[in-house]
Amino acid sequence: MSEITLSGLEKRYGDTLAVEDVSVTIDDGELLCLLGPSGSGKSTTLRMLAGLETPTDGTIHIGDEDVTDRPAYERTTATVFQDWALFPHKTVIENVAFGLKMEGVGKTERRERARGMLERVRMESHADENPMNLSGGQKQRVALARALAVNPDVLLLDEPLSNLDKRLSEDMQIELREIHEEFEETFVHVTHDQDEAFTLADRIGIMAEGNLVQVGEPDEVYENPKNRFIEGFLGDTNFVEGTVERTTPDSIRVETELGREVVLSTANPDALTEGTSLTLSLRPEILSTESAESGSEDDATGRPALADGSTTNSIVGTVENVLYRGSTVRYSVAVDGTSMFVERTVADSGEFDAGDEVRISWDGADVLAFRDDGSRVDL
Amino acid sequence: MSGTHSSLPAPVARVWEPLLERSRSKRALLLMAPLLLFELLLFVAPFLILLRISVTEGSTDLRYAPGTWSLEGYAEVFSTDVLLSAIAYSFKMGLTATAITVVIATGYAYAIWRAEGLLKSVLLFSVILPLLTTLVIKTYAFWPLLSPTGTVNDVLVSLNLISEPIQFVPGTIGVIVGQVYIVLPYAVLAIYSVLSTMDWGLVEAARDLGASRPRASLEIVVPQAMPGIIVATVISFAWSVGAYAAPGLLGAGDDLAFALEVEQRLLSNLQWEVATAYALVMLLLMLVSVAALTAVLNVFGGEFEYA
Amino acid sequence: MHRETIEDALFRASYLSILAFMLLPLAVVVVTSFAESGQLLFPPENYSLVHYRGFFEETRWISAFDNSILVGVGTTIVATALGVTAAFGHELDDGRAGQLLAPLVLVPLLIPPIILGISMRVYFVRAGMDASYLSIILAHTLWATPLVYFVMRSVFSRFDWRLLDAARDLGAGPIQSFVYAVLPNVKHGIFVGALLAFIVSLQEFVMALFLSSHNTETIPVVAWTTLRQSLDPMVSVVSTFLILISIGAIAVAAIATNLDWLSKQLS
Repeated sequence: MSEITLSGLEKRYGDTLAVEDVSVTIDDGELLCLLGPSGSGKSTTLRMLAGLETPTDGTIHIGDEDVTDRPAYERTTATVFQDWALFPHKTVIENVAFGLKMEGVGKTERRERARGMLERVRMESHADENPMNLSGGQKQRVALARALAVNPDVLLLDEPLSNLDKRLSEDMQIELREIHEEFEETFVHVTHDQDEAFTLADRIGIMAEGNLVQVGEPDEVYENPKNRFIEGFLGDTNFVEGTVERTTPDSIRVETELGREVVLSTANPDALTEGTSLTLSLRPEILSTESAESGSEDDATGRPALADGSTTNSIVGTVENVLYRGSTVRYSVAVDGTSMFVERTVADSGEFDAGDEVRISWDGADVLAFRDDGSRVDL
Repeated sequence: MSGTHSSLPAPVARVWEPLLERSRSKRALLLMAPLLLFELLLFVAPFLILLRISVTEGSTDLRYAPGTWSLEGYAEVFSTDVLLSAIAYSFKMGLTATAITVVIATGYAYAIWRAEGLLKSVLLFSVILPLLTTLVIKTYAFWPLLSPTGTVNDVLVSLNLISEPIQFVPGTIGVIVGQVYIVLPYAVLAIYSVLSTMDWGLVEAARDLGASRPRASLEIVVPQAMPGIIVATVISFAWSVGAYAAPGLLGAGDDLAFALEVEQRLLSNLQWEVATAYALVMLLLMLVSVAALTAVLNVFGGEFEYA
Repeated sequence: MHRETIEDALFRASYLSILAFMLLPLAVVVVTSFAESGQLLFPPENYSLVHYRGFFEETRWISAFDNSILVGVGTTIVATALGVTAAFGHELDDGRAGQLLAPLVLVPLLIPPIILGISMRVYFVRAGMDASYLSIILAHTLWATPLVYFVMRSVFSRFDWRLLDAARDLGAGPIQSFVYAVLPNVKHGIFVGALLAFIVSLQEFVMALFLSSHNTETIPVVAWTTLRQSLDPMVSVVSTFLILISIGAIAVAAIATNLDWLSKQLS
């Protein structure tokens, strides 16, 4: 009943193209996160969904109805705004009851329903306060209650957690998830924070420069990024530039800026021709690190071990910098003039210090490769 | 022409439709429409009529001869010494009053900016109260102060600074004092509103780098306050050149300002074609000087050098 | 150190003398209204309330007072309505119309009132509307509207427009959303704008001089015509009233905004 279909959505301000082409179907009861850097058009897309902006092209259907030109106040959507947009001249409960008042619900009933909603977000004790005197987390709950009070078919959340500190934001993510399960409504949540999106979403839609680049379940998007932008945006990784040197039926050898060649395994050797320039992504989680002395000496020459058909690669570098990041330690390692980073959990035995020689190794089957235009190579 | 607007007359539709297309929302345009219409009816239209009357022939029994075309009015303006010298007088008086006003206003705005607590309130109040007092009245108050038998002369004579009372009022000095008094509050507020957003830390930084206090003020405060100073200059100048009350009340016989002359031609001589032509010539001169003044100040505003 | 002390003293002396310059004429007006003689002297030799008695017997001043109030209220209503709606529209959408509107509204402020007065008189005579209250109200509106407009532009630019979005999103139509979400947050600005409009109208006399007849003349017009004949302490009496009204208006404005603030804190 409240499945949402966006087709060919475009929004242009004068000569600026805020949203170029967004098409997606959001299932009833789904929680979709629109994830992207600022300026990628995700908030504009959300505002078009809310009816606060009119698309310059394309259509929006909620259920079977075409709501493209219907103003915000005639739509069954409700929004939680980035700065929460609580009415400063109204008390907390008046804020929550506002939507019901606009619907023409009588005073007693709307107070009762608003109070119920405040109880749901555990804010009933603040009902008669001025919202300006609340903390960020409290405002967040009131804004949520205000939007839920009108019983919308679709709840839209425009970076509602971005103004909260990390801890509070993580608590709210869990609470939002619970509320989503309890109300069984369709949620569209806009954020620029990958962790938030991965925690919350049933599906993630990644936006860049006004386009919806990829939509999929969190693990699918993470493991199978469609292009280099997504790979870079979803997490820290080492991008290594290189050129295809030689292809064999099951592997591709790439000459890289690491000063030696990297071997990729492939089931599709025709995907690349010799001389093509590539960007390889070596994510920290595929890299294993050990002290260079403890490794077998025969690999120190840098020859890839291909004897058993595996594509294990390894290189030796010097630790330049040690960064403690709570539960993990990040090392930046100088390798033949360029720099890479690797991560180890604190629990891992043996820490390295700046100046130590380390051997970094990985399986060539885990490496992702992208062409110059950013598109992913299907290996 | 689109079907929805077929009821609009063609010329209206030609103006309206591009506006509608450009506009992101019709509602915004609808809200602005009443004021636009008001300005067209009460500002633009009267000016077009003024322009039209200025190019008609004079008439002995009417104020002007409707329907005729002639440049008589303009010819009269440029051939009558009284009219030309009144323009010259208004410009001289306007420039003098503007220069004095802007210098005083900058200092006073600076004083308000630096003051705190009660003093700040008193200084601000002293700007706002004259602003709220009728022009005629605050101007006339200079009579008992500046006339030959007035307070200032009494004080000067009793202090033996002068032997004979000086006739400030009626006279050019009185006119300038009165005019400065009229425009000063506006100028102070224009400069103060810019200063109030400025960071005092900048002046402290300049002093830290070795600038003396007056030097720091000139190097830092004045350039920062330039947008306000430009506004203050423009309004002081525009209103002083067109001044009517100060020359009319505090001037002597030879203080013939443009505003008094144009009133004379319009209301007493009933020469509308001359009066309108005269007003338009003056307006043109004034707008050109305002533009020039702004341009000069803008150039200076960027890089004042006091070396 | 010594040099800075001298600088301080000089600076203080100069702004205090400007302070005196700003307030002295107003003091003169108030004090001379209590003079006994018919001559304008400052300070007066003897004090009495004779001119105040005279004021209440003079019908010309009383009717001018009424006219001023009438014109002032009319101007306030028209200018506030025009200025607030236009500023709101401009803030909603800064399109071509807005770019045209801002300079068009501003320009009349820069044109000497004498020239505006002439063009208005010529215009209203042709329209057969000269010497009516309406013509003075419309002329004053031309000057008062820019002030309301620019005050409201700055008020609206500080307004958090997401509140309007939030209200629309929750089902409030165009008028409801303005009334419930915008108006309560900008009412101080509207009040200040309206007050400015009223004060501008109360003060303005050049356009009023050109547009009024004996029946519609406002206080400044009567003051002007009286003063051009002779210096009359009666003008001081009227001026004292006007100054008191102005001080009262400032006080009311200060109290109104503060009381409101106070009541907000208490609720």
